[in-house]
Parts: sequence; structure tokens; C-alpha cells
Amino acid sequence: MAPASFQLIAALVLRETSIIYEPRKEYLVEARLHPLAAQAGCASVDAYVQMLSINPVERRKAIDALTINETSWFRDNAPYQAFTETMLPALMANRTERRHLSIWSAACSSGQEAYSIAMLLDQHLPAGWTADILATDVSTAMLTRVENGRYSQVEMNRGLPATSLVKYFTRAGSEWEIVPALRKMVRTRHLNLAEPFPVIGTFDLVLLRNVLIYFDQPTKHGILRRMHQHVASDGYLLLGSSETTLDLPADLHAMWDREQIGRVQAHRPAGGLTVPRPSSTTFSAALTGARP
Amino acid sequence: MTVTTQPSGPELADVHAIVEQVWSSFLGDEEPLLPRYADAAEEGTPAFPAEHVWSAAVSVHGGWTGTVTVELSSSVAQSLTRLMLAMEDEPLDDAEVADAVGELVNMIGGNIKSLMPGPSALTLPVVAAGRAAHSSELAEVARFDAMWNGEPVRISVHAPQS
Amino acid sequence: MTESPMTQRAMIIDDSKAMRSILRRIVSGLSFETAEAAHGQEALDQMEAGFMPDLCLIDWNMPVMDGYTFITEVRKRPEWRNITLMMVTTESEQGQIVKALAAGAHEYVIKPFTPDAIVEKLELLGLVSKGVLA
Ligand SMILES: C[S@@+](CC[C@H](N)C(=O)[O-])C[C@H]1O[C@@H](n2cnc3c(N)ncnc32)[C@H](O)[C@@H]1O
Repeated sequence: MAPASFQLIAALVLRETSIIYEPRKEYLVEARLHPLAAQAGCASVDAYVQMLSINPVERRKAIDALTINETSWFRDNAPYQAFTETMLPALMANRTERRHLSIWSAACSSGQEAYSIAMLLDQHLPAGWTADILATDVSTAMLTRVENGRYSQVEMNRGLPATSLVKYFTRAGSEWEIVPALRKMVRTRHLNLAEPFPVIGTFDLVLLRNVLIYFDQPTKHGILRRMHQHVASDGYLLLGSSETTLDLPADLHAMWDREQIGRVQAHRPAGGLTVPRPSSTTFSAALTGARP
Repeated sequence: MTVTTQPSGPELADVHAIVEQVWSSFLGDEEPLLPRYADAAEEGTPAFPAEHVWSAAVSVHGGWTGTVTVELSSSVAQSLTRLMLAMEDEPLDDAEVADAVGELVNMIGGNIKSLMPGPSALTLPVVAAGRAAHSSELAEVARFDAMWNGEPVRISVHAPQS
Repeated sequence: MTESPMTQRAMIIDDSKAMRSILRRIVSGLSFETAEAAHGQEALDQMEAGFMPDLCLIDWNMPVMDGYTFITEVRKRPEWRNITLMMVTTESEQGQIVKALAAGAHEYVIKPFTPDAIVEKLELLGLVSKGVLA
């Protein structure tokens, strides 16, 4: 593709998602746009990029194709193991009155992360407890996928234990559909992490995994700064396995404690309570979205 | 009552999705499989050629009964065999091509079986050099035509005439 | 289970040479030593003859002895109880998956799959740890 086309598309993606495409990634952009160009009847990727300036529908499709949505069930395993073995019991011990957990999957892609957590909650949350999972992404196409809860055969194979496949999914044509009980636990919302967050309240666990790597330093730092007030004082923030060694400015570094749980490192709000705190605080904070 | 009449065949969109997944999983997506719709196929492009073609079929028996057939030009068959065996330039023998084309129809057929009411059993693939022949008791209930690298690929589903 | 410093072994059971070749490349890449069989009986014969696998990748529909029968045969032998059995097959009816798990399969991969899918399942089964890939 022509350098001018690459610059045009890279600027578009940066503006809409803050994702940076460097010139050496030109081949990737071309590979991802080629099928769209062919479908739209364009003779070349260059012609397709020209078309984007006048066609908002294709523009949406191109942006969706260029946000990297790679994900899988129980991705990396260890975080999910740490969740069931350590985080969940600790969180439950502090919430015996309210008996409710709030979880945020903050770059949810097609929903495997949110539904993996939903499966674990189904297996480990005692009767009488409830949970809700907020799934957000910048890509509206991805949010629609989460809402539909349908996955192709190829996606189902990626990390989902066979016992969970038969327990939590039913066949729907060539795809598999998540059972309504888990579907009901997850709600979606459009949210661009690179911009100020809307009023969404605080969460006991935030999964912010495999998304910071696509941003520049100031954007990463801004997100981690803003994230602080959305994690409950005894809650957890989980980053991707290659994202925990971020170089942070001193004040931001001091905002988070790091805790090693098995093979994963969790971030926790610094100075947060790790002993039970008055449950009324948890209650009002979660109800009103006010910050403690 | 409609209980006894079997649904004649799978939805075309589902067949398309299955073929697409098999294709991209094993053959990569650098060269996409481009669907060819009926109207486009009619104007200009010749019908599926009779020569230099491989065909393979599997049958499904049980909750639903039918046959799934894959036909492709021999150059597509050779390319996919090379990709599956990770062979570059060494010569291929017919047995290797037949094996790879057979595995292709096995994967497509097994997934199409799951679209239909079960339980059903799947036969082992039957592979031939040349176009597929169908018994006159069977009617075509779904067909997916596509182009890959400028060469034709056809997946068809046949079921007994009701 | 004990950690063995020895190379792990995988038996690949599929009637298609092309599919065996795809699977062999994936598990060899994870440093498994491999053997191949075109059906269940051939795999049992090789195991009797001394190739003791840690992992079997098993197709369902094969001539002579299918993968489901192979699993039930392996499960009859107490001395083979440590072998991890993973179906890799185009059989994708929900009832079939349940049946294979009930017969003793540990995991189930539906064809078509990408190489990542095999690796991730082996991670779930504890046969491969993340470090191997780095
Ligand atoms: C690689 S996926 C990670 C999915 C999942 N968290 C995981 O770890 O498997 C990255 C996701 O981040 C989303 N994303 C990219 N830029 C974003 C932004 N500025 N705000 C919110 N989400 C964004 C993409 O749409 C994509 O779904």
C-alpha cells in the first residue's frame, strides 16, 4: 500500500482508539484491510482507504479490523487460578453482609474474559451471593459480540475446558451460545480507556489485560491514574502478563501496591484496607457510584 | 405433524461459516476464500470445470441423513496438501493429495453434521480424481461456491428427496 | 504426579497423514517426542511394544478401531492410567463430547483448530508450562 494511505489510516485509528500503528506494521494493516477491500469491490487497499473518507460504515469496519481483538478463554490461566484460590475468598470474607461482587472487564474484546470469570463465579460463589460483570470496549462490534454471546468453533477451542463447554454452552448453528444464566451476569458499555471515564462506580476486581501495550506512555499512565478510584480499597487490578513491569513515574508508582499471588502480580490501591472495613462504606459506594 | 420430515439441509450461512473456519485454520488467511454468489457465477464465469478436479464426500446417517461433497481444482488440491504437510517443492503423490482432500471433507462434513438434528454417524471420506457423481435419489439442498487463488472450490450438501 | 526430567512423549492417532503431520509439528515444537498411528489398534500395538506416551491425541472416526473405542481400551488398563487422553476430532455434537469425557477423555478439541488451541489445552492439562514457548 502507498505510504500516504498508511499515514491516513494510522491517523484515523490513533484518533478513534489511541492505538499506535508504526510504519513497520504496514504489512499488518494491509493484511487486515485486504479482505475488506475485496468485499467492498475495491481494486486495491489504496482505493479502499480513499473510500473510507466518504463512507462511515466502511470506516467503522476498518477500525474494528484494526483494533487487535486477540483473546481466549481463561487467557494465561494463572490469573484465573489466583482469582478462585486467593482473591475470591478474600473478597468474600470482607463482604459477608452485602454478598455481592462487582467486576469490570475493561477491554473485553469478544467477551471471553468476562464470561470466563462468570463461569468461575457460577462454580465458586455460594448460594445467596450475586455478582455483576461490566464489559467495556472501544469497539462497538466487539460489544455486540459480547451481547450475542456466540462463538465459533475455532474460538471455542481456545482455552475452554471441555467440561465447561458442555456445561455452559449450547449449539446454535455453526456457533455455540452461552447459557442465559451467565449471559445475565454480564452487561456491556462503550468506553474508550484513553478518555476520561464515565461514572461507573468501583469494582472488586478490574481486568485491564493486554490493552495497555497498544498505547504510548502518557496514555498508559493516564489510564492507571484514572483507574485507581475505580478499584475498591481491598480490591484487585490485573494487567496482562507482559504489562506488569511498566515503568511508572514515582507518584503513580506509589498509588499502587503490588502483590504476588502464585504466578501473577496483582495491583492493589496503595494504603487500601486489607482488613474488613465497615460494610456500609462498600454498600453506599457501590450503590451511588460515589468514590470512597 | 411435521415430526417425521427431516429438515432438508443446513443454512447456507452456516455452511459458509464452517468452510471459512476450516480454510483459515489450516490454510492461513493471507489468501482469502472469496464467496461466489449465484448471479456472479452465471454471468461470464464458466461452470465448474470437468477436468483437473478432485472430489471427496462423506455421508451422515441418523437424526439427519445426507452427503457432504467438496470439489476443487487440482491446483487448489495440491496447494492445500502442501500447506497441510508443510512441503515446499518436493513432488506430491496422488495418495497424499487424496488424504488431504479427504481430511478437508471430514472436517467440513463433521461440522455440518452438528448443524442438523442428531445423533448421527459420519462415514470415512471417499475421494476421487474427477467430479463427484450423485445418485438420483439425492437432491442438492445447499451449495457454497467460492474462489481461492483464482480457482474454484465448491461445497455441496445432498439429501434424499422427500 | 511427579515431574519427570525426561522428554514427554505424544502418540498421534489419526487416519489422515496430513492431520498427523499438522499435529506432529505442533507437539514437536513443544519438545514432545512423537509416534503416529493411523487407527486405535495400531496405537495400542505400539504401546504394547513399548512406546509409552504421556499424551495421546485421538481422532474419533478411523478405520479398524475408532478413537472412542481406543479410549475405553486404554481406560481398562490400570497401568495406563497416567496417560492424558485428548480427543482431536471433527465430531462436534454436544452429546458426543459428553460421551467421550464420560469414557475417560481428559480434553476435547474440535477440528478445525489453530495451533494455539492445542497449546492452550495442554497448558490447561498441565503438560506444558508457559515458559516452554518463550
Ligand atoms: C488484545 S484485546 C484484549 C482482550 C482481553 N482483555 C484479553 O486479555 O484477552 C484488546 C482489546 O482492547 C480494545 N481496545 C483498544 N483500544 C481501546 C481503547 N482506547 N479503549 C478501550 N478498549 C480498547 C480492543 O478493541 C480489543 O478488544
